[in-house]
Amino acid sequence: MADQATARQWLGGLAAHGRPLILATVSAGVVVGVATVAQMAFLAGIVHRGIVGQVPVEQLSLLFTGAVAAIFIRGVAQGFQARFAARCSRKVRSEVRHQLNRCWRATGPVAMGQVSAGILAREWVDHTDALHGYFARFLPQMILAVIVPLLILAVVFSLDWLAGIFLLLSAPLIPLFMALVGMGAEKLNQQHFQTIGRLSGQFLDKVRGLTTLQLFGQTGPAADTLRKRSDDYRRVTMKTLRIAFLSSAVLEFFSSVAIAVVAIYIGFGLLGYISYGPSDDLTLFSGLLVLLLAPEFFQPLRLLSQHYHDRAAAMGAGAEIVERLHGNNGAKRPRPGTHQRQSPDGIVVRDLTLAYDAGRPVLDRVSLDIRKGDVIALTGPSGGGKSSLLYLLAGFMRPDQGTISVLGAAPGEHCFGWLGQSPFLVHGTWADNLRLTTPDATDVAIETALHQVGLRGLVNSRAQGIYSGITEDGQGLSGGQARRLSLARVFVANYDLILLDEPTAGLDSDSEIFILEALHKLALAGKTLIFATHHQALLTLANRTLLVTGGRVHDA
Amino acid sequence: MMRDLWPWLALIFRRPGRLVVGGLLILATLLAGMGLLALSGWFITATALTGLLLAAGIQASLNLYVPGGGIRFFAVARTVARYAERVYNHDTVLRLLTDIRVALFQRLCLTARHRRNLLRGPQWLSRLTNDVDALDTLYLRLIAPTALAALVTAMLVLAAWLVYSQHLAIGLAMTLIPAFLVATVLVYLRTRHLVYRQTDARERVRTDVIEHIEGFAELTAAGRTGKHAALCLRQADQIARNDSRADTRTGWNLGLAQVMVNLSVVLALWMGLQLFQQGQISGPVAVLLPVALLGLLEVYSMLPDAFARLGGTLASAARLNRDCSVGQPLEPTARQQPIEDANALELQQITIRFGVHTPVISRFDLKVHTGEWVGIIGSSGAGKSSLADVMAGLEQPASGSVRSHQAPAYLTQQTVLFEDTLKANLQLGKPGVTDAELWRVLELVAMADRFTHEPAQLNTWLGSMGSQLSGGEARRIALARVLLSESPILILDEPFTGVDANTRDTVAAGMKRWLAGKTVIALGHAPEAFPAPDRTIRLN
Repeated sequence: MADQATARQWLGGLAAHGRPLILATVSAGVVVGVATVAQMAFLAGIVHRGIVGQVPVEQLSLLFTGAVAAIFIRGVAQGFQARFAARCSRKVRSEVRHQLNRCWRATGPVAMGQVSAGILAREWVDHTDALHGYFARFLPQMILAVIVPLLILAVVFSLDWLAGIFLLLSAPLIPLFMALVGMGAEKLNQQHFQTIGRLSGQFLDKVRGLTTLQLFGQTGPAADTLRKRSDDYRRVTMKTLRIAFLSSAVLEFFSSVAIAVVAIYIGFGLLGYISYGPSDDLTLFSGLLVLLLAPEFFQPLRLLSQHYHDRAAAMGAGAEIVERLHGNNGAKRPRPGTHQRQSPDGIVVRDLTLAYDAGRPVLDRVSLDIRKGDVIALTGPSGGGKSSLLYLLAGFMRPDQGTISVLGAAPGEHCFGWLGQSPFLVHGTWADNLRLTTPDATDVAIETALHQVGLRGLVNSRAQGIYSGITEDGQGLSGGQARRLSLARVFVANYDLILLDEPTAGLDSDSEIFILEALHKLALAGKTLIFATHHQALLTLANRTLLVTGGRVHDA
Repeated sequence: MMRDLWPWLALIFRRPGRLVVGGLLILATLLAGMGLLALSGWFITATALTGLLLAAGIQASLNLYVPGGGIRFFAVARTVARYAERVYNHDTVLRLLTDIRVALFQRLCLTARHRRNLLRGPQWLSRLTNDVDALDTLYLRLIAPTALAALVTAMLVLAAWLVYSQHLAIGLAMTLIPAFLVATVLVYLRTRHLVYRQTDARERVRTDVIEHIEGFAELTAAGRTGKHAALCLRQADQIARNDSRADTRTGWNLGLAQVMVNLSVVLALWMGLQLFQQGQISGPVAVLLPVALLGLLEVYSMLPDAFARLGGTLASAARLNRDCSVGQPLEPTARQQPIEDANALELQQITIRFGVHTPVISRFDLKVHTGEWVGIIGSSGAGKSSLADVMAGLEQPASGSVRSHQAPAYLTQQTVLFEDTLKANLQLGKPGVTDAELWRVLELVAMADRFTHEPAQLNTWLGSMGSQLSGGEARRIALARVLLSESPILILDEPFTGVDANTRDTVAAGMKRWLAGKTVIALGHAPEAFPAPDRTIRLN
């Protein structure tokens, strides 16, 4: 239940963020309630004067005008309520997405890489949208479900306190209703989603294996199984639903019975059959008004129970988002300012220590000076700390101790080129992909960069050159081509420092040659290149090879 | 656009009995609610008038038992009808859910495989689920409330005509019909362009966000995370804006529809009082209709939300229709051509290519004798699996022909097991197979021990909710399933993926015995990837 509590707390914080709009929504809802009371009062007044007072209809036009005015105010307030609610939800969702983006930046690329992109994207897209109903419907309704019934109760009390007591008797029952409705709705919700989930699972499982089923000629029996399983689930679910629906039946029962009791009490009171209490003062006006207000007394509660599943959905989604937002506090986040101002001409590392497990440092008090224009190969056994050193230089992680100064600034403060092992393409044209990191690159610069990495031929073979999509014909790029495309970004951007993690690992020989040539060109252009590698050809490209092993870094 | 919905509506209306009973139960709930209020209003007015007469000392009487009983009846009927309606209609929804899923599955079976291949992956599957869900609730959310709102409106107008006056009935019709249109058609028309593309827009944002995450290191290095995130945020906000506009419009339409229903109440009161004052109807009856009309608010308030979603539902239906468009039947036509008797399979001048790219395999010839074991070796990307698909008849080659006496049994490179029992998974290979034979084949693939220790033995549940299998174990189950097949030709694509060397040797020896006399074509990246063949071919 700890996550439930933190999720609730976080939702509360978001509510504070959207407070003005929530207040506006609730205010509009209160106006709807007041206008409803006014409308009913006018209607009851018209009936009283028209029937008991025998006043000609034409002389009641003032009351009729009042009723129509109340009706219009009610409608307009309802429209505004929807408008404010929708805005509030939009605002809150935008805030959540900003929070997630901030969290991602604070987490850094290394820790982000531990979680599947699909899961992170689902939190960002779907879980955030799942908060909609909570902020647009449930939360305002929860407040309205207290205010509006109290308002109506006050009016009813002023008309006839005994009728008020009938309604009030159900007031202590309201928390009970809420609990009943809540429990019922929650159970219903869980059961429903579980069933839907299982059915979808069965269905998707069969769809996924459709080719296999066809190969064995078993699609017919599979459809029968699907039907039979669905039916079994339905039977089991209905058993639970029959009980879960009882709670909403209880709410219905109380509200119907309350209306019936009030109606009969008023009727007998008007006949003068009741000799105690305030019933002597009942008139057709007050009696009818109490009757017309009785359903409105229960209406906010009924709406709340309809929106209850919004709460469950938001709690579920919220719990996962909160876990993401809070879970990364312990991660080694990049933090600016872990450097001392050093010479702007090189990379200065002093007493750098990093440990993933306490007591077994990957890097142990490492000091290092790299001159501008150096081509450095980091080598050593896997797990020896090559990549960690690279991540620290990139500012993707924060060291436990020590300082790093990269060209006179903290790591990551100046832009630099990064080439990781997983290729990064966006859905779009070649130009889109290169302009991603350098938005103002010219067409010529892009073509030159593609030429440098040996992709010019491929691009020229496409109909629209650099403006053709990179994934046309449903065929993507090979791993090697994708990595060359990433390298082309580095060429376009013209960075001083370029960090590369195993730039040739797992490549076909063509791509390998192109990458080597391209790196050579970068080195000749005076760029500072640092790469982690085992590859012999790359080691020869370097003018300095550093062996990273056992927490130490020394020249090989 | 509406046409996209027809096949699914036809499916839903295949259960007319249930739909009508469910609808009548909802109707009973609504009428009981309206009846409770209207009768109470009548009762109070009647007692007020009688009470005044009594107070004035005039002899008057009122039958209290009938209206009192009626009020109690409606109160109880409302509760009972609501409960019955809930239970019955949810049962219907779950039945429709089954119908729609089964129908969709059957249509997908007929969909051309290459079309299905475009639609793989968890994203498509989750979209499929959402689209089906949108159709499941179509009846309960949209069809039933709309039909009932129309019916109840018509009943009230008719009652006004019969009991009150023709003018009142016309007046009501003139306010309620626009109210109905505002709550239904107008909502749909004003929101459809906002919601129709929302799912597609969401998928586009998702793609961009995934790209953002995958490129996070490069974007961070280039100092562009903020800018790129802003792009994603803008897109997401555009979607939220459309949602918000659709919600706002729905809210205004609901407000407008309620204003019109309320105006009909005022109208009924005005004209009812006139009739009363002209002596045509009694006071209580004049109150009856306006109060009943107030109950109509409940009926109409359900509609705008449902119609705001209709645009999205139509988009779902359109996507499902598109994804499940029935294509060419899978039956390969080339099999009817003559084949030499001594050969089990002949490939002639086979060329395989994707799109307009260079062919992966061109002009490939192969003749496999009956009973021969052929091994095909090729590195990844050499077109092995495509060749296997063509041999098995799953794919058509770009050119050339495939001939065989009988459709081969085929172990695809991808291991596919179903969330079902071990037995059900194996029975796909040979329906009606005996337990003894199942144990024998499990023994052969060295998996018998694994399941003799499970309490449910052959009925052990496989998959995420049941017994967890390693990759190699799952592979061997899939292999066992193909070994059970009675086809004289087997095509095995990387049969031993994830299986360790010792087990591989044991299983390979067992396969030689089990498959004696059958024709086997095995494909792999290296010679040890399949049992030793009579002949080996290398793909370049």
